[in-house]
Amino acid sequence: MAYKPQFGPGSTLIAENRRKYMNPGYKLQKMRDVSDEDVVLLMGHRAPGAAYPTAHPPLAEAGEPKCPVRKLVVPLDGAKTGDRVRYIQFSDSMWFAPCHPYLRSYLEAIRYRGVDPGTLSGRQIVECRERDLEKIAKELVSSELFDPARTAIKGATVHGHSLRLAENGMMFDMLQRYVLDPKDKVVKYVKNQIGEPLDKPISVGKPNDDKWLKAHTTIYNCNGGVAFRDDKEYLEWTQRVHSLRTKYGFMPME
Amino acid sequence: MTEATYPQCRIVPARLLNPSTVERLLNGIFATGKIRRMVLNGPNLPAEVPYGPAKGLPNPHEGRKTIKVADEDVQLQVQVGVVILELMDEAAIEDLKEVCDRVFTDFSYSIQKGRYMKSQMTLTDYAKYGPGMEKDLLGMADPRSKGCPIIIQGVK
Repeated sequence: MAYKPQFGPGSTLIAENRRKYMNPGYKLQKMRDVSDEDVVLLMGHRAPGAAYPTAHPPLAEAGEPKCPVRKLVVPLDGAKTGDRVRYIQFSDSMWFAPCHPYLRSYLEAIRYRGVDPGTLSGRQIVECRERDLEKIAKELVSSELFDPARTAIKGATVHGHSLRLAENGMMFDMLQRYVLDPKDKVVKYVKNQIGEPLDKPISVGKPNDDKWLKAHTTIYNCNGGVAFRDDKEYLEWTQRVHSLRTKYGFMPME
Repeated sequence: MTEATYPQCRIVPARLLNPSTVERLLNGIFATGKIRRMVLNGPNLPAEVPYGPAKGLPNPHEGRKTIKVADEDVQLQVQVGVVILELMDEAAIEDLKEVCDRVFTDFSYSIQKGRYMKSQMTLTDYAKYGPGMEKDLLGMADPRSKGCPIIIQGVK
Protein backbone atom coordinates (compact mmCIF):
# COMPACT_ATOMS: atom_id res chain seq x y z
CA MET A 1 0.00 0.00 0.00
CA ALA A 2 1.38 3.41 -0.94
CA TYR A 3 2.25 5.72 1.91
CA LYS A 4 -0.24 8.51 2.39
CA PRO A 5 1.03 11.40 4.51
CA GLN A 6 -1.27 12.53 7.30
CA PHE A 7 0.52 15.89 7.94
CA GLY A 8 -0.74 16.19 11.50
CA PRO A 9 -3.13 14.96 14.19
CA GLY A 10 -6.31 16.58 15.46
CA SER A 11 -10.04 16.42 15.05
CA THR A 12 -10.96 20.13 15.10
CA LEU A 13 -11.38 22.61 12.27
CA ILE A 14 -7.99 24.13 13.18
CA ALA A 15 -6.25 20.78 12.73
CA GLU A 16 -8.11 20.22 9.46
CA ASN A 17 -6.97 23.63 8.17
CA ARG A 18 -3.38 22.87 9.14
CA ARG A 19 -3.47 19.59 7.23
CA LYS A 20 -5.11 21.28 4.27
CA TYR A 21 -2.48 24.02 3.94
CA MET A 22 0.41 21.57 4.34
CA ASN A 23 -0.95 19.21 1.72
CA PRO A 24 0.73 20.05 -1.63
CA GLY A 25 -2.26 18.46 -3.39
CA TYR A 26 -4.49 21.25 -2.09
CA LYS A 27 -4.39 24.36 -4.28
CA LEU A 28 -4.27 27.49 -2.14
CA GLN A 29 -7.25 29.71 -2.82
CA LYS A 30 -6.39 32.96 -4.58
CA MET A 31 -7.85 35.93 -2.71
CA ARG A 32 -6.33 39.01 -4.37
CA ASP A 33 -4.24 40.26 -7.26
CA VAL A 34 -0.84 41.65 -6.38
CA SER A 35 1.38 42.59 -9.31
CA ASP A 36 5.01 41.45 -9.69
CA GLU A 37 6.13 45.05 -9.36
CA ASP A 38 4.23 45.48 -6.08
CA VAL A 39 5.86 42.38 -4.60
CA VAL A 40 9.31 43.68 -5.57
CA LEU A 41 8.51 47.06 -3.99
CA LEU A 42 7.13 45.48 -0.80
CA MET A 43 10.28 43.44 -0.31
CA GLY A 44 12.58 46.34 -1.18
CA HIS A 45 15.59 44.30 -2.29
CA ARG A 46 15.90 45.82 -5.79
CA ALA A 47 14.18 48.42 -7.95
CA PRO A 48 11.42 46.99 -10.19
CA GLY A 49 12.76 46.26 -13.65
CA ALA A 50 16.40 46.37 -12.52
CA ALA A 51 18.68 43.43 -13.38
CA TYR A 52 19.10 40.80 -10.69
CA PRO A 53 22.42 41.37 -8.90
CA THR A 54 24.46 38.17 -8.75
CA ALA A 55 26.41 36.46 -6.01
CA HIS A 56 28.36 34.14 -8.30
CA PRO A 57 28.76 33.47 -12.06
CA PRO A 58 26.04 31.43 -13.81
CA LEU A 59 26.42 27.70 -13.18
CA ALA A 60 26.92 27.03 -16.92
CA GLU A 61 30.06 29.18 -16.84
CA ALA A 62 31.25 28.10 -13.41
CA GLY A 63 32.69 24.77 -14.55
CA GLU A 64 31.09 22.59 -11.93
CA PRO A 65 32.93 19.46 -10.79
CA LYS A 66 31.59 16.07 -11.89
CA CYS A 67 29.19 15.04 -9.15
CA PRO A 68 26.28 12.57 -9.34
CA VAL A 69 24.22 14.60 -6.84
CA ARG A 70 24.56 17.77 -8.93
CA LYS A 71 23.23 15.77 -11.89
CA LEU A 72 20.28 14.57 -9.86
CA VAL A 73 19.27 17.91 -8.35
CA VAL A 74 18.05 20.37 -10.96
CA PRO A 75 19.03 23.92 -9.87
CA LEU A 76 16.40 26.63 -9.49
CA ASP A 77 16.34 29.39 -12.10
CA GLY A 78 17.88 31.77 -9.58
CA ALA A 79 20.67 29.34 -8.74
CA LYS A 80 21.40 28.77 -12.45
CA THR A 81 21.92 32.48 -13.00
CA GLY A 82 23.73 33.07 -9.71
CA ASP A 83 21.13 35.32 -8.02
CA ARG A 84 21.60 36.58 -4.49
CA VAL A 85 19.67 34.92 -1.67
CA ARG A 86 16.99 37.30 -0.37
CA TYR A 87 14.11 37.07 2.10
CA ILE A 88 10.52 37.94 2.91
CA GLN A 89 9.30 37.87 6.49
CA PHE A 90 5.73 37.53 7.77
CA SER A 91 4.15 38.18 11.12
CA ASP A 92 0.77 36.61 11.93
CA SER A 93 -1.53 37.94 14.63
CA MET A 94 -2.66 35.40 17.21
CA TRP A 95 -6.17 36.85 16.72
CA PHE A 96 -7.22 34.26 14.15
CA ALA A 97 -4.71 34.94 11.38
CA PRO A 98 -5.05 32.32 8.65
CA CYS A 99 -1.50 31.04 9.10
CA HIS A 100 1.15 31.03 11.83
CA PRO A 101 4.97 30.90 11.87
CA TYR A 102 5.48 27.16 12.43
CA LEU A 103 2.91 26.19 9.84
CA ARG A 104 4.41 28.61 7.34
CA SER A 105 7.75 26.87 7.61
CA TYR A 106 6.20 23.41 7.33
CA LEU A 107 4.11 24.26 4.29
CA GLU A 108 6.88 26.19 2.51
CA ALA A 109 9.33 23.34 3.03
CA ILE A 110 6.73 20.92 1.63
CA ARG A 111 5.41 23.07 -1.23
CA TYR A 112 8.51 24.85 -2.56
CA ARG A 113 11.99 23.77 -3.65
CA GLY A 114 15.19 25.56 -2.70
CA VAL A 115 13.77 27.59 0.18
CA ASP A 116 15.16 28.10 3.65
CA PRO A 117 12.25 28.84 5.96
CA GLY A 118 12.92 29.87 9.53
CA THR A 119 10.45 30.22 12.39
CA LEU A 120 10.82 32.55 15.34
CA SER A 121 8.27 33.20 18.07
CA GLY A 122 6.34 35.95 16.32
CA ARG A 123 7.66 35.95 12.78
CA GLN A 124 8.63 33.67 9.98
CA ILE A 125 11.28 34.31 7.38
CA VAL A 126 11.75 32.50 4.10
CA GLU A 127 14.97 32.83 2.16
CA CYS A 128 15.49 31.87 -1.45
CA ARG A 129 17.21 32.93 -4.67
CA GLU A 130 15.83 36.34 -5.57
CA ARG A 131 13.82 35.59 -8.72
CA ASP A 132 12.34 32.42 -7.22
CA LEU A 133 11.56 34.23 -3.99
CA GLU A 134 9.53 36.81 -5.91
CA LYS A 135 7.32 34.06 -7.35
CA ILE A 136 6.86 32.43 -3.94
CA ALA A 137 6.19 35.76 -2.20
CA LYS A 138 3.58 36.66 -4.80
CA GLU A 139 1.81 33.35 -4.29
CA LEU A 140 1.89 33.68 -0.49
CA VAL A 141 0.62 37.27 -0.46
CA SER A 142 -2.19 36.66 -2.94
CA SER A 143 -3.38 33.40 -1.35
CA GLU A 144 -5.70 32.62 1.54
CA LEU A 145 -2.66 32.37 3.87
CA PHE A 146 -2.53 36.18 3.95
CA ASP A 147 -5.11 38.42 5.58
CA PRO A 148 -4.44 42.15 5.08
CA ALA A 149 -5.32 43.04 8.69
CA ARG A 150 -4.02 40.06 10.66
CA THR A 151 -0.95 39.15 8.61
CA ALA A 152 1.87 41.59 7.88
CA ILE A 153 5.03 41.71 5.85
CA LYS A 154 7.56 42.90 8.39
CA GLY A 155 11.24 42.56 7.59
CA ALA A 156 12.33 44.26 10.81
CA THR A 157 10.61 45.52 13.97
CA VAL A 158 8.00 42.79 13.98
CA HIS A 159 6.45 43.40 17.42
CA GLY A 160 2.66 43.10 17.42
CA HIS A 161 1.54 39.52 16.77
CA SER A 162 0.51 38.88 20.38
CA LEU A 163 -0.88 42.33 21.17
CA ARG A 164 -4.51 43.35 21.17
CA LEU A 165 -5.72 44.62 17.82
CA ALA A 166 -6.21 48.32 17.12
CA GLU A 167 -9.72 49.76 17.16
CA ASN A 168 -10.05 49.27 13.39
CA GLY A 169 -9.05 45.59 13.67
CA MET A 170 -5.47 45.99 12.40
CA MET A 171 -2.47 44.28 13.95
CA PHE A 172 -0.12 46.70 15.75
CA ASP A 173 2.92 47.85 13.81
CA MET A 174 5.37 50.26 15.41
CA LEU A 175 6.49 51.46 11.96
CA GLN A 176 2.94 51.65 10.56
CA ARG A 177 3.91 50.03 7.28
CA TYR A 178 0.26 49.45 6.45
CA VAL A 179 -2.85 51.54 6.98
CA LEU A 180 -6.54 50.85 6.61
CA ASP A 181 -7.99 53.40 4.22
CA PRO A 182 -11.09 54.74 6.02
CA LYS A 183 -12.87 55.50 2.71
CA ASP A 184 -12.64 52.27 0.73
CA LYS A 185 -11.71 49.98 3.72
CA VAL A 186 -8.72 48.65 1.82
CA VAL A 187 -5.36 47.96 3.48
CA LYS A 188 -2.48 49.80 1.84
CA TYR A 189 1.23 49.41 2.42
CA VAL A 190 2.93 52.80 2.66
CA LYS A 191 6.36 51.43 3.57
CA ASN A 192 8.32 48.41 2.40
CA GLN A 193 9.05 45.50 4.72
CA ILE A 194 11.97 47.19 6.49
CA GLY A 195 10.15 50.50 6.99
CA GLU A 196 11.36 52.66 4.09
CA PRO A 197 8.57 54.85 2.65
CA LEU A 198 7.14 53.79 -0.73
CA ASP A 199 6.55 56.28 -3.54
CA LYS A 200 2.95 55.12 -3.92
CA PRO A 201 0.76 53.05 -1.60
CA ILE A 202 0.34 49.37 -2.50
CA SER A 203 -3.11 47.94 -2.01
CA VAL A 204 -3.42 44.39 -0.64
CA GLY A 205 -7.21 44.28 -0.48
CA LYS A 206 -9.93 44.36 2.13
CA PRO A 207 -9.51 42.58 5.47
CA ASN A 208 -11.56 39.40 5.85
CA ASP A 209 -14.40 39.40 8.35
CA ASP A 210 -14.28 37.50 11.66
CA LYS A 211 -16.48 34.69 10.37
CA TRP A 212 -14.09 33.98 7.48
CA LEU A 213 -11.04 34.24 9.73
CA LYS A 214 -12.42 31.82 12.31
CA ALA A 215 -13.25 29.34 9.55
CA HIS A 216 -9.77 29.56 8.01
CA THR A 217 -7.49 30.10 11.00
CA THR A 218 -4.86 27.58 12.07
CA ILE A 219 -4.37 29.06 15.54
CA TYR A 220 -5.87 27.59 18.69
CA ASN A 221 -7.20 30.40 20.86
CA CYS A 222 -9.51 29.92 23.84
CA ASN A 223 -10.59 33.57 23.65
CA GLY A 224 -13.38 33.26 21.13
CA GLY A 225 -11.95 30.42 19.04
CA VAL A 226 -11.18 26.73 19.44
CA ALA A 227 -9.18 26.01 22.61
CA PHE A 228 -6.13 23.77 22.24
CA ARG A 229 -7.33 21.62 25.15
CA ASP A 230 -10.55 20.85 23.26
CA ASP A 231 -8.58 18.96 20.64
CA LYS A 232 -7.94 15.73 22.54
CA GLU A 233 -6.07 13.99 19.74
CA TYR A 234 -3.73 16.94 19.11
CA LEU A 235 -3.08 17.31 22.84
CA GLU A 236 -2.32 13.61 23.22
CA TRP A 237 0.21 13.65 20.39
CA THR A 238 1.88 16.84 21.59
CA GLN A 239 2.25 15.34 25.07
CA ARG A 240 3.60 12.12 23.57
CA VAL A 241 6.26 14.02 21.58
CA HIS A 242 7.28 16.05 24.65
CA SER A 243 7.40 12.96 26.83
CA LEU A 244 9.50 10.94 24.38
CA ARG A 245 11.99 13.70 23.70
CA THR A 246 12.41 14.37 27.43
CA LYS A 247 13.04 10.71 28.17
CA TYR A 248 15.41 10.47 25.22
CA GLY A 249 17.37 13.47 26.43
CA PHE A 250 17.63 11.94 29.88
CA MET A 251 18.58 8.38 28.94
CA PRO A 252 18.93 7.78 25.19
CA MET A 253 19.65 4.04 25.46
CA GLU A 254 16.14 3.23 26.69
CA MET B 1 3.93 58.95 60.78
CA THR B 2 2.34 56.48 58.39
CA GLU B 3 2.02 57.68 54.83
CA ALA B 4 -1.39 57.72 53.24
CA THR B 5 -1.92 55.04 50.59
CA TYR B 6 -4.36 55.76 47.85
CA PRO B 7 -6.34 53.13 45.94
CA GLN B 8 -5.12 52.25 42.45
CA CYS B 9 -6.84 50.69 39.48
CA ARG B 10 -6.25 50.12 35.81
CA ILE B 11 -8.52 50.33 32.80
CA VAL B 12 -7.85 47.61 30.23
CA PRO B 13 -9.81 47.99 26.96
CA ALA B 14 -10.12 45.05 24.56
CA ARG B 15 -8.44 47.06 21.79
CA LEU B 16 -5.40 49.35 21.54
CA LEU B 17 -6.80 52.87 21.46
CA ASN B 18 -6.74 55.62 18.84
CA PRO B 19 -5.56 59.07 20.00
CA SER B 20 -9.10 60.48 19.64
CA THR B 21 -10.52 57.78 21.91
CA VAL B 22 -7.73 58.39 24.45
CA GLU B 23 -8.56 62.09 24.40
CA ARG B 24 -12.26 61.45 25.09
CA LEU B 25 -11.43 58.90 27.80
CA LEU B 26 -8.90 61.08 29.62
CA ASN B 27 -11.11 64.16 29.52
CA GLY B 28 -13.94 62.07 30.95
CA ILE B 29 -11.66 60.73 33.67
CA PHE B 30 -10.38 64.19 34.60
CA ALA B 31 -13.91 65.55 34.75
CA THR B 32 -14.56 63.21 37.70
CA GLY B 33 -11.99 65.23 39.70
CA LYS B 34 -10.93 62.22 41.73
CA ILE B 35 -7.62 61.32 40.14
CA ARG B 36 -4.24 61.84 41.81
CA ARG B 37 -1.84 60.25 39.31
CA MET B 38 -2.11 58.51 35.97
CA VAL B 39 0.18 56.47 33.70
CA LEU B 40 -0.55 55.57 30.07
CA ASN B 41 0.91 52.23 29.04
CA GLY B 42 1.22 50.57 25.66
CA PRO B 43 3.64 49.65 22.89
CA ASN B 44 6.18 52.37 22.07
CA LEU B 45 5.80 54.62 19.01
CA PRO B 46 9.25 56.17 18.46
CA ALA B 47 9.70 59.32 16.38
CA GLU B 48 12.53 57.65 14.43
CA VAL B 49 13.04 54.04 13.38
CA PRO B 50 15.16 52.81 16.32
CA TYR B 51 16.86 49.80 14.74
CA GLY B 52 17.00 47.64 11.62
CA PRO B 53 18.10 48.62 8.11
CA ALA B 54 15.94 51.77 8.14
CA LYS B 55 17.41 53.01 11.46
CA GLY B 56 17.27 56.79 11.84
CA LEU B 57 14.52 57.42 9.27
CA PRO B 58 11.53 59.44 10.49
CA ASN B 59 8.66 57.25 11.64
CA PRO B 60 5.36 59.01 10.99
CA HIS B 61 2.62 57.18 12.91
CA GLU B 62 -1.05 58.07 13.32
CA GLY B 63 -0.89 57.04 16.99
CA ARG B 64 1.87 59.51 17.86
CA LYS B 65 -0.27 62.61 18.18
CA THR B 66 -0.64 65.52 20.55
CA ILE B 67 -3.98 65.41 22.34
CA LYS B 68 -5.64 67.99 24.55
CA VAL B 69 -6.42 66.84 28.07
CA ALA B 70 -7.93 69.35 30.51
CA ASP B 71 -6.40 72.24 28.50
CA GLU B 72 -2.91 70.70 28.55
CA ASP B 73 -1.16 69.35 25.45
CA VAL B 74 -0.15 65.74 25.89
CA GLN B 75 2.22 64.19 23.35
CA LEU B 76 1.36 60.49 23.06
CA GLN B 77 4.45 58.30 22.83
CA VAL B 78 2.69 54.94 23.00
CA GLN B 79 -0.40 53.36 21.49
CA VAL B 80 -2.44 53.33 24.66
CA GLY B 81 -3.45 49.86 25.84
CA VAL B 82 -3.74 50.33 29.61
CA VAL B 83 -4.55 53.36 31.76
CA ILE B 84 -3.21 53.08 35.33
CA LEU B 85 -4.80 55.41 37.86
CA GLU B 86 -4.29 56.43 41.45
CA LEU B 87 -7.57 57.64 42.93
CA MET B 88 -8.54 59.93 45.78
CA ASP B 89 -10.92 57.27 47.08
CA GLU B 90 -12.34 53.95 45.98
CA ALA B 91 -15.76 55.39 45.23
CA ALA B 92 -14.22 56.99 42.11
CA ILE B 93 -14.23 53.59 40.40
CA GLU B 94 -17.98 53.84 39.86
CA ASP B 95 -17.48 57.20 38.12
CA LEU B 96 -14.75 55.64 35.97
CA LYS B 97 -17.12 52.86 34.93
CA GLU B 98 -19.62 55.44 33.74
CA VAL B 99 -16.96 57.20 31.69
CA CYS B 100 -15.74 53.91 30.18
CA ASP B 101 -19.30 52.83 29.29
CA ARG B 102 -19.71 56.11 27.46
CA VAL B 103 -16.39 55.92 25.56
CA PHE B 104 -15.96 52.19 24.83
CA THR B 105 -19.09 51.53 22.80
CA ASP B 106 -17.67 49.17 20.15
CA PHE B 107 -15.61 46.88 22.38
CA SER B 108 -15.40 45.70 25.97
CA TYR B 109 -13.09 46.76 28.78
CA SER B 110 -12.26 45.80 32.34
CA ILE B 111 -11.36 47.79 35.43
CA GLN B 112 -9.05 46.02 37.86
CA LYS B 113 -8.15 47.06 41.40
CA GLY B 114 -4.65 46.49 42.75
CA ARG B 115 -1.20 48.10 43.09
CA TYR B 116 0.09 48.97 39.63
CA MET B 117 2.41 51.97 40.10
CA LYS B 118 6.05 51.89 41.00
CA SER B 119 6.49 52.08 44.77
CA GLN B 120 10.26 51.82 45.15
CA MET B 121 13.15 53.52 43.42
CA THR B 122 15.16 51.44 40.98
CA LEU B 123 18.87 52.00 40.40
CA THR B 124 18.01 53.96 37.21
CA ASP B 125 15.64 56.24 39.17
CA TYR B 126 18.32 56.81 41.78
CA ALA B 127 20.95 57.62 39.15
CA LYS B 128 18.67 60.12 37.41
CA TYR B 129 16.79 61.79 40.28
CA GLY B 130 19.08 61.27 43.31
CA PRO B 131 18.11 60.37 46.89
CA GLY B 132 15.73 63.27 47.45
CA MET B 133 13.25 62.39 44.73
CA GLU B 134 9.63 63.42 45.18
CA LYS B 135 7.80 60.15 45.81
CA ASP B 136 4.73 61.16 43.84
CA LEU B 137 6.82 61.46 40.69
CA LEU B 138 8.17 57.93 40.97
CA GLY B 139 7.27 55.90 37.89
CA MET B 140 5.47 58.81 36.22
CA ALA B 141 7.98 58.99 33.33
CA ASP B 142 10.49 56.59 31.86
CA PRO B 143 13.74 57.40 33.75
CA ARG B 144 15.76 56.55 30.62
CA SER B 145 13.95 59.16 28.52
CA LYS B 146 14.23 62.93 28.62
CA GLY B 147 10.46 63.19 29.11
CA CYS B 148 8.90 64.54 32.28
CA PRO B 149 5.52 63.86 33.86
CA ILE B 150 2.77 66.29 32.90
CA ILE B 151 1.16 68.10 35.80
CA ILE B 152 -2.43 69.12 35.17
CA GLN B 153 -3.53 72.00 37.37
CA GLY B 154 -6.94 72.43 38.86
CA VAL B 155 -7.28 68.93 40.21
CA LYS B 156 -6.84 68.43 43.95
